[in-house]
Amino acid sequence: MVFTLKACKYVIRRHILLETDLDHLIDRIFFMDTPAEIEHVRLKALNNLWMHNRDWTEMAESGGPHVITSGKGVRVTDSEGNSWIDVNAGYSCVNIGYGRPEIAQAVYEQINKTSFCPIGTTTETVIRLAEKLAELAPGDLNRVFFSTGGSEANETALKIAKAYHNRRGEPGRYRVISRKGSYHGMTGGVLWTGDGPAVHKADYGPAYPGMLHVPQPNPYRCEFGGETESECAILCAQAIEDTILFHGAETISAFIGEPIAIPQGAPVPSKEYWPMVRDICDRYGVIMIADEVVCGFGRTGKMFAMEHFNVVPDIMTVAKGIISAYLPMAGTIVSDRIADSFSGGDASLKHVLTNSGHPVSAAAALKNISIIEEENMVDNAKVVGGYFKNQLENMIMDHPYVGDVRGVGLFLAMELVSDRKTKAGFDTGIEIGVRLTKKFKSKGLIFRARENILHFGPPLCITREEVDEIVHAVDLGLWEFEGECGVGRFA
Amino acid sequence: MNTKTELQGKANRHLWMQAKGWADMTAAGEPMIIESANGISVTDIEGNTWLDVNGGYSSVNIGYGRKDMADIVKNQMLQLSYYPEQTTTFPNALLAEKLAEITPGTLSRVWPVSGGSEANEIAIRMARAYHVRRGDKGRYKIISRYGSYHGATSGVAWLGRPASLGLDQYEPGPLGMIYASQPNPYSCSFGGKSPSECAILCAQDIENLIIQNDPDTIAAIIGEPITSSLGAVVPGEQYWLIVREICDRYGILLIDDEVVCGFGRTGKMFGIEHFGVTPDIMTLAKGLGSSYVPIGAVIATTQIADAFAGKENIFYAALTAGGHPVSTASALANINIIEQEGLVEASAVKGRYFINRLNNLAVKHPIVGDVRGMGLLVAIELDSKFTIDDKELGDWLVNTFKDNGLLLRTLGSRVIQMSPPLCITEAEIDIIVDALDSTLTKLSSYLSKV
Repeated sequence: MVFTLKACKYVIRRHILLETDLDHLIDRIFFMDTPAEIEHVRLKALNNLWMHNRDWTEMAESGGPHVITSGKGVRVTDSEGNSWIDVNAGYSCVNIGYGRPEIAQAVYEQINKTSFCPIGTTTETVIRLAEKLAELAPGDLNRVFFSTGGSEANETALKIAKAYHNRRGEPGRYRVISRKGSYHGMTGGVLWTGDGPAVHKADYGPAYPGMLHVPQPNPYRCEFGGETESECAILCAQAIEDTILFHGAETISAFIGEPIAIPQGAPVPSKEYWPMVRDICDRYGVIMIADEVVCGFGRTGKMFAMEHFNVVPDIMTVAKGIISAYLPMAGTIVSDRIADSFSGGDASLKHVLTNSGHPVSAAAALKNISIIEEENMVDNAKVVGGYFKNQLENMIMDHPYVGDVRGVGLFLAMELVSDRKTKAGFDTGIEIGVRLTKKFKSKGLIFRARENILHFGPPLCITREEVDEIVHAVDLGLWEFEGECGVGRFA
Repeated sequence: MNTKTELQGKANRHLWMQAKGWADMTAAGEPMIIESANGISVTDIEGNTWLDVNGGYSSVNIGYGRKDMADIVKNQMLQLSYYPEQTTTFPNALLAEKLAEITPGTLSRVWPVSGGSEANEIAIRMARAYHVRRGDKGRYKIISRYGSYHGATSGVAWLGRPASLGLDQYEPGPLGMIYASQPNPYSCSFGGKSPSECAILCAQDIENLIIQNDPDTIAAIIGEPITSSLGAVVPGEQYWLIVREICDRYGILLIDDEVVCGFGRTGKMFGIEHFGVTPDIMTLAKGLGSSYVPIGAVIATTQIADAFAGKENIFYAALTAGGHPVSTASALANINIIEQEGLVEASAVKGRYFINRLNNLAVKHPIVGDVRGMGLLVAIELDSKFTIDDKELGDWLVNTFKDNGLLLRTLGSRVIQMSPPLCITEAEIDIIVDALDSTLTKLSSYLSKV
């Protein structure tokens, strides 16, 4: 079903304009097609919108912001009518791809039944989604607390971990161990797990008490100098035990990590790592939280990435792919063993979020998961992801700046280095991120280079042909950049 | 097994609902499963209809069951369900424009989020970062009022240290939390005998706290114009003016949490308008989208936002679902409905009627200690001299309301706050007040037994 602007206009007019005066509004949202109207919106965005991680003065000078008006599959179209491939599917979140009318229909039907529900009540969609997640999640991960995004899901997980120890008579367990080079969200607690850029810390300090950090098991840049993947994994896992012993196991609440971390560009830990971490957590009574916000729902070629390592965490957090960003939705999935401590009376968890278990988001998430399953998108991520990685690896031969290609499924990354031997990065003055992002854009990709790391997290419905388009554009962009820097074939 | 039993079994097996354990729910034959809703009524899976006196979480401002909202959401989702990072969309820009237009003073730049906790998290971070941008790096402490609620995530849960979050079990909390007294005229911490006297004493308390804690270390003061977590506590009219003046004097930012009070809830578009004060940062959620889909926002004044202009000054923070085009489109439609249907004025008018009827109830029932509120954020507080175990009283009240066709939660056990959709009719208010009347009559005989 192709929903054109005209058809959209017709449907809305027919259904609602006679009853309420949303006429003007609808015209403004959906049908701004004259240059003057588009310019009006652009100015309003510059004057009144605080875009995430953006600065409006620079954007004004460069003719921004870039306004997107529609999307389909891996592509989006902007207000000028240009089409682009969104290489990172939003923030690696539009797993089923853009523009699936089935989700809109499910949402429409749920709002027409009930858009929300009173305190202490729920709806069938929310219950069915909880049941579905319990079915998909491994082991005894059977109980779901819903929220609206990954930050809230991880906050909830940390809260449950602390409250669990409290109920078992161990109130002194408050510290949380996370890995450098991880990201778990940006609200007041989880911001201090992992390590975001220093500016975040300066802006939101002082740090939340009790946050401990251990090295990332990144085989390409092992902090302990591990020479093989296995050695790196074992040394990094061992560091967790050392940290627990140094601070005293009786003070440690939880360990949190993504199966495969995001900020350092999909460094896949060697197979020893997670079983060792699981064992260490068990040995010292530390709760193991797996953050599947990015990795979950097929991104890595398994439904959940922890399945690659055959490890079941105590708590698993999900967001993004659970609903492919059609609406806000997230969940904290808890093992029966932990949840049993909260079953009733004074032991109930005191934790309230207005949008926990939103019936409309639940309807969208249910439909999203059924699309992932029915269209074998997890398999597609594995197969096309394998092809994609192969194509990226082929670029190593031609491009002196390509230091490493890594990842699994459709969670891939390429790390660029100025010297392969020393693995040195690039001077900030070179502005590699800004320059590459511009080059990719000139070749039809919306694809932000995060300095020297290129992250690839497209919709899971991507085809080999679309992968070829991306690889070709990246290839050309790198040629140009290397040429300008005086290296490579065209230097 | 019928559908209800099946679904309740599954809910109690797999769903972690808010603030109530599944063993208790199983014992009580809960959770109630809602099948449809319209206006202020909801209907459960067995066809029983109830009045949702709390309007969701004081959030369904335009009322349930608006087909036009379903249309807008569907059409935006068909048009564009999400967008690439560092780009934007029509509804995001238009919602920002709209919020800048309807908020007071120079509040003009909108950072979209998906709920109240996130909004307050961002507001606090923005306040601290603002001082950093100005080279005033030592300012990190936040003053909140004891008993207020500003969210459940770690950065904001400790603001106000609300009893409802059981924070003792999460110690240690974040650094820099300072608690001021709540300007509650019914039980003024400083013994103020009138709302004005209480307001002035409580505002003065804030200045004392600032001086004691070193003014140069304080980033912001956060508060709801009318405190919803303690049951529609309306401060005396001087309070916010004095607080604003104190903030200006010490270079402290004023964060106005309008998550509950915003969008007509108190009979003005924003609660702070009752007090003639413009905050530096305002946070919005709930009524912004009437809970049709999750949305929230932070709006800052031009002066605050300007500190973040330029490549060197970027405010680094991102939320996947912040600025979701479906959420922003639905918020635009929601605000449009509030304006076109005169719901702000309706809230003021219906609220006066509601308060009048509650005052009459207080005359009849001496157990009612206080009636208060503005617009359709109203509350009664039961007199504490009638002693009974709190948990028991709270449960008894909620169950009795339910027997009378009302879904109505208490705050703690003695405060009953009502925040129905703004489209409520006088006839529906009568039903609520009559149900309260009969509940209070029963309560008297219940109390004489225990």
